[in-house]
Amino acid sequence: MDKAASDLQRRVFALISRGVAQATTDEEFEGLAREVFAFQYERCAVYRAYCDRRKQTPQSVMHWKEIPATPTSAFKDFALTCFPVEQAVAEFHTSGTTRELSGKHFLATLELYHAAIGPNFAAHLLPDGARLPMMILTPSPEEAQHSSLSHMMGVVMKEFGADDSAYYVEGGQVLVEKLVRDLCEIQWAHQPVFLLGTAFALVHLFDHLEQQNLKFEMSEGSRVMETGGFKGRSRELSKADLYALFESVLGIPTTHVVNEYGMTELSTQFYDATLRVGRRTDGKAVPPWARVLIIDPNTGKEAADNERGLVRIFDLANLWSMMCVQTEDLGIARVSDSSLVEFEVLGRSAGAEVRGCSLNAENIVME
Amino acid sequence: MSATIETIREAIGRTREARERVQQHRSTDAVIAVLAQTAKNWLDPNSPWRKRAVESAPKHMGFSEAMVQEAIDLTFGAINYESLGELLDRELGNRRVLDEFCLRGRVQSRAVAPRLLVHFLAGNVPMPGIVSICCGLLLRTANLVKVSSRDPVFPSLFIGSVREVDTELADCVASIEWSRDELALTQTALEDADAVIAYGDDQTISALRQLASPQARFLGYGHKFSFAVVAKEAMTEENLPHLAQAAAFDASVYDQLGCLSPHVYYVEERGQLGPRKFAAALADAMAAYQARVPRGQLPLEEAAQNAKFRACYEFRAASDKRMEVWASPTGNDWTVIYDDSPSFIPSCLNRTVFVKPTDGYKRVLDAIQKIASSVSSVGVAPMNERALGFASDLARMGVHRVCPIGQMQRPPLSWHHDGRPNLADLVSWTDLG
Repeated sequence: MDKAASDLQRRVFALISRGVAQATTDEEFEGLAREVFAFQYERCAVYRAYCDRRKQTPQSVMHWKEIPATPTSAFKDFALTCFPVEQAVAEFHTSGTTRELSGKHFLATLELYHAAIGPNFAAHLLPDGARLPMMILTPSPEEAQHSSLSHMMGVVMKEFGADDSAYYVEGGQVLVEKLVRDLCEIQWAHQPVFLLGTAFALVHLFDHLEQQNLKFEMSEGSRVMETGGFKGRSRELSKADLYALFESVLGIPTTHVVNEYGMTELSTQFYDATLRVGRRTDGKAVPPWARVLIIDPNTGKEAADNERGLVRIFDLANLWSMMCVQTEDLGIARVSDSSLVEFEVLGRSAGAEVRGCSLNAENIVME
Repeated sequence: MSATIETIREAIGRTREARERVQQHRSTDAVIAVLAQTAKNWLDPNSPWRKRAVESAPKHMGFSEAMVQEAIDLTFGAINYESLGELLDRELGNRRVLDEFCLRGRVQSRAVAPRLLVHFLAGNVPMPGIVSICCGLLLRTANLVKVSSRDPVFPSLFIGSVREVDTELADCVASIEWSRDELALTQTALEDADAVIAYGDDQTISALRQLASPQARFLGYGHKFSFAVVAKEAMTEENLPHLAQAAAFDASVYDQLGCLSPHVYYVEERGQLGPRKFAAALADAMAAYQARVPRGQLPLEEAAQNAKFRACYEFRAASDKRMEVWASPTGNDWTVIYDDSPSFIPSCLNRTVFVKPTDGYKRVLDAIQKIASSVSSVGVAPMNERALGFASDLARMGVHRVCPIGQMQRPPLSWHHDGRPNLADLVSWTDLG
């Protein structure tokens, strides 16, 4: 790594290591963001070509909000790195359907990636500093080497989990029986538990519990981190319905259920501020080394306050890949009581009813 | 006022009574004259019906006012005395068979219309619904029209405009809006229907087919898509501006949301001008059409699809020389994507068109083979001997319409919509002798 790069990485690392308590000012973020932009423009040829095409270059961009965003689709078409891709220490893949390519996120170093995970997770899931048995409803990072979610689970388990933490998905199966046995044990021991997993896997658990006519009353302090995405593999359930099940079937109140919003293409996660502020909220906090803009898809410009739009994320921890990522998720920006800007994710932008009578990209079956 | 079982039953009763009167007093020819006059009234630039449609349709349909004007011209431009008469003659052999026994071959026959025809309209393209109502009136049947929330305007204005010319005939049609989720209302509407015309996605149509009486004639028109092919003969310097204008028209009308709207233009290589030239000219023509007939404001979800689509191709095109993107300078009004991969890629619509080079008609057939059953129309330029061969191949693959580029949005009234007749499938026959 050359000096300029290591210097920039050191400064990004220092900002992330400061933790989530102290917000960055816009000026502070701006300075670093523009440096990272210039760095990525210089080192990633396909990104540079895109910026040139849009006539938004480090010379012309005057504000971090103008930095060109890389669409998530581009992670499927290109290896978007600011380093020789063969030097990647890890690569994470999106779980695309068989019909589509998966997007790939290559990491030059795990240092920034891990730094972005820990303190943010602790602040939003463990504000009381608890060390709990983590029951993780994903495959282990050893089994799913290319899953960013499994990787993150590995990091938080190692850092924050009690000794009897474990993974409960193996070979594509949720190990429901083991899960139920372990839940029973923890309940009998009057120990709080920490369930983490995809909404899909959790619904699978609830379906099983309903079938067996089982209910739990987990100890106070128990909590859940669920992360979105059913991907058509289990019955669809609204967030409200799912959260009600945590309360009625596991005895975990909705004030102790936190949604995580993460993407393979990013290094930083975003969490509902529920546990951190002590009341149920769908608003997600943005850590100091990131920014979120809601983009009006009609204009490509920032949406008005409280208007829905596409979520665009600036993640300084993505120093070696793409800092500014345009997601396909709809969201809305909210100004919370503490004047911290939060955002809410409203889900994928798909499934709109067709207005005309033409089949479109969503519904022409191409196989 | 929301529809109830009673309002639907009452409307059916009324249209049936009107039908009895009309059956006695109106000849088919008289009905043709009424419909032709009605259409002519709409075509008048100062028509109050046109004015009312332009005022109230955009907010329901999501079209600009200019697009609604264009829709009126396209819809009512196709309806006149000649085209209505031709439709009857072509499908029934002779328009008078609805009035009396006529000699057909060696047998005298008379066409008998259904008693109650229920129309389920969908989407925001007005023409199919208007034509559907015209068919019902030509048959002098009682008509109940379930309008779509995307276009509650045109059917009721059209019925009003028929009433202005002929009150009694207009009384044969009632239009009502209700949600497809209100199953009891749909069941009520279908109780006594002996014929049903349904537009919508496959799911909607099969649900309605299940609900309709097994004896009822059922015409279902599902969602389809279209594309076009420019042969090398058409790619000349002289021809290109006109061709691009025609292509932009076909792709822009109804903001590309109609089943006749092309997703892709395949352009044959080795012409005097190459496929990229066509894409560039198409982009200019899309811009010109946008200036005259702006695209409507997009609902958020569609705008998001559009933004995603455009960003994906713009990013790729920036470093992949096999691609090029022409995009409206502001907003997301129109996008032309040149992509040299021959595979068919459906568009996100709302004036987003692919241009793809091709080795020839044979290659196009290969590319669309697996999806041919969902194709509505294929535009071609020029319509010559070679295109006729291509059309025959398409016919064998189950494609129902091949037409010149520029005419994709102007199917004649007597076309075989989705390959079937419009009226002939609705009537039954009584023979004498």
